[in-house]
Amino acid sequence: MIGNTGVSPNGPRAMMTHPTTDAPSPVGTNEPLVSISGVSKLFSRRGRTVEALRDVDLTIGDGEFVSLLGPSGCGKSTLLRIIGGLQTADRGTVSVGGGDVQHARAAKQYGLVPQAPALLPWKTVADNVRFLTSLHRRRGSEQVMNDAEIQELLVTVGLAGFERSYPHELSGGMQQRVSLVRAFAVGAPILLMDEPFAALDEITRADMRYLLLDLWSRTHATVVFVTHSVTEAAILSDRVVVMAARPGRVAAERTIELPRPRTPEMEDEPNFHEQVRRLRADLREHHA
Amino acid sequence: MMRLDPQSVADSSTDVADGDPLDGYARRSRTSPIRRLLLLLAPVIGVVGFLAIWQLSIVIFDIKKFVLPSPWNILGGIKSDPMFYVRNARTTVWESFLGFTIAFLLAMLGATIMALSKFAERAILPLAVLLQVTPLIAYAPAIVIWQGFGLKPILIMTSLVCFVPFLINGVLGLRSVDPNLLELARSVDASRREEFFRLRLPSALPSLFSAGRIAVGLALIGSVLGEFFSGSTGGLGYSVKTAQAHSLTLQLWGSVFVLAFVGAAATMLIIGLERITLQWHSSQRP
Repeated sequence: MIGNTGVSPNGPRAMMTHPTTDAPSPVGTNEPLVSISGVSKLFSRRGRTVEALRDVDLTIGDGEFVSLLGPSGCGKSTLLRIIGGLQTADRGTVSVGGGDVQHARAAKQYGLVPQAPALLPWKTVADNVRFLTSLHRRRGSEQVMNDAEIQELLVTVGLAGFERSYPHELSGGMQQRVSLVRAFAVGAPILLMDEPFAALDEITRADMRYLLLDLWSRTHATVVFVTHSVTEAAILSDRVVVMAARPGRVAAERTIELPRPRTPEMEDEPNFHEQVRRLRADLREHHA
Repeated sequence: MMRLDPQSVADSSTDVADGDPLDGYARRSRTSPIRRLLLLLAPVIGVVGFLAIWQLSIVIFDIKKFVLPSPWNILGGIKSDPMFYVRNARTTVWESFLGFTIAFLLAMLGATIMALSKFAERAILPLAVLLQVTPLIAYAPAIVIWQGFGLKPILIMTSLVCFVPFLINGVLGLRSVDPNLLELARSVDASRREEFFRLRLPSALPSLFSAGRIAVGLALIGSVLGEFFSGSTGGLGYSVKTAQAHSLTLQLWGSVFVLAFVGAAATMLIIGLERITLQWHSSQRP
């Protein structure tokens, strides 16, 4: 797995080989993959300083599905972007697979799913899902998916037959599915999702959750999922990090005690309601 | 070409069901074949109608041929010596094309620097505005004094008038790239080169085509003006100038007609290119 990309044998790539065993649950080894300690971030806007994050400590295990749940302004997106090396922390450290985040970014360890589908309007679905990997290939990466694997993902999300369509010919939900497949196609061990379903209607949104879980179960990637939907966090995650605002901080962490694979029927079970109730209580307790 | 998923089919059917029942009727009549043909012919009807009114006015008000010739006379004039107009048009088109291309290349260089650096944008923009607001006709003689007669001053003038639209639209276009896309590229550590050629430049194409449509007309103005001032012995501008000096009204109007034709043809060429290149863009969809 160690390519000629200048990554040392002890670098992120060596640490983050995908589990190859067919584990019954997609939850990985739970060895720490992302370690965040004492991270703080300040933003200054028009002379006013906002404390986006204060002393955040968090560990995310390899293969784990972790949601960052909280109200607007609690710094969950900022934390996601700091993990991805798209923003730097003012204080504290973030290590990914033992190395720093910039190193991990250079070693193509991240797949990003932004809130908007952000597709290239001048490219077809097939070219869009390969866009990030095509930026990739030139610098030699073995983790990217091949055409057959990408096609399988497109079939999974119901986009078979739409390969030659342009984004403007697709509905919002379909565009977001392309965006999901694009992130998985990178073959990165860490997927960062910034409220990817926030702009979708409730019915489409419910379907997307299970599509995401289906894709995830095939790849065993580690997912950091930002959301402000309690039910979404509960049905998707292994663990939910509840965040509070002003200053942005980790208020509570909850392990979701639901078996996998998760199904839509589970959302009607008392156990699910109990998980949701606990998360809501956490949110209420720390609501400033 | 376009395939629909059940959901979007459902969406469109609810659209119709929700709307006023008359909407469906109106939509059908709007696309009737006669109406479509009329819409298609509208530009031709407009131009021919204008020329007909002109022709009629000449007859009704009995305007003398050497004061204002009729379109029919002008076209007859062109027909009597077509090679004269072809030869001169070729010169002007070549000058315009060179000036247009030089302006495009220089403006893209400037726009790239300006799009990447706020400082460069603030430093260059006032110069661009000054260039745009100062009438070219005022400093055209100065360019000839500085550069002498010949092709060079003509190309300088043509490039100068085309430069600003390309620059402004270029900056706008390069900046119009979706920030989410830039972030995606950064998340996989894409190089700035890839970011420019694979994200920024394609995003700028719609703006650049708009600039191109404006610049086509400006390029003709620039080269005709250049021919007026730089002692040219060819080109439609030269032909206009000599016609004025010798009171050759028909040749004057003939040159103007050919210039109009060349400008329209060039604009249509750019629109055609735009249609092919920007099929994905919302501006090209009905």
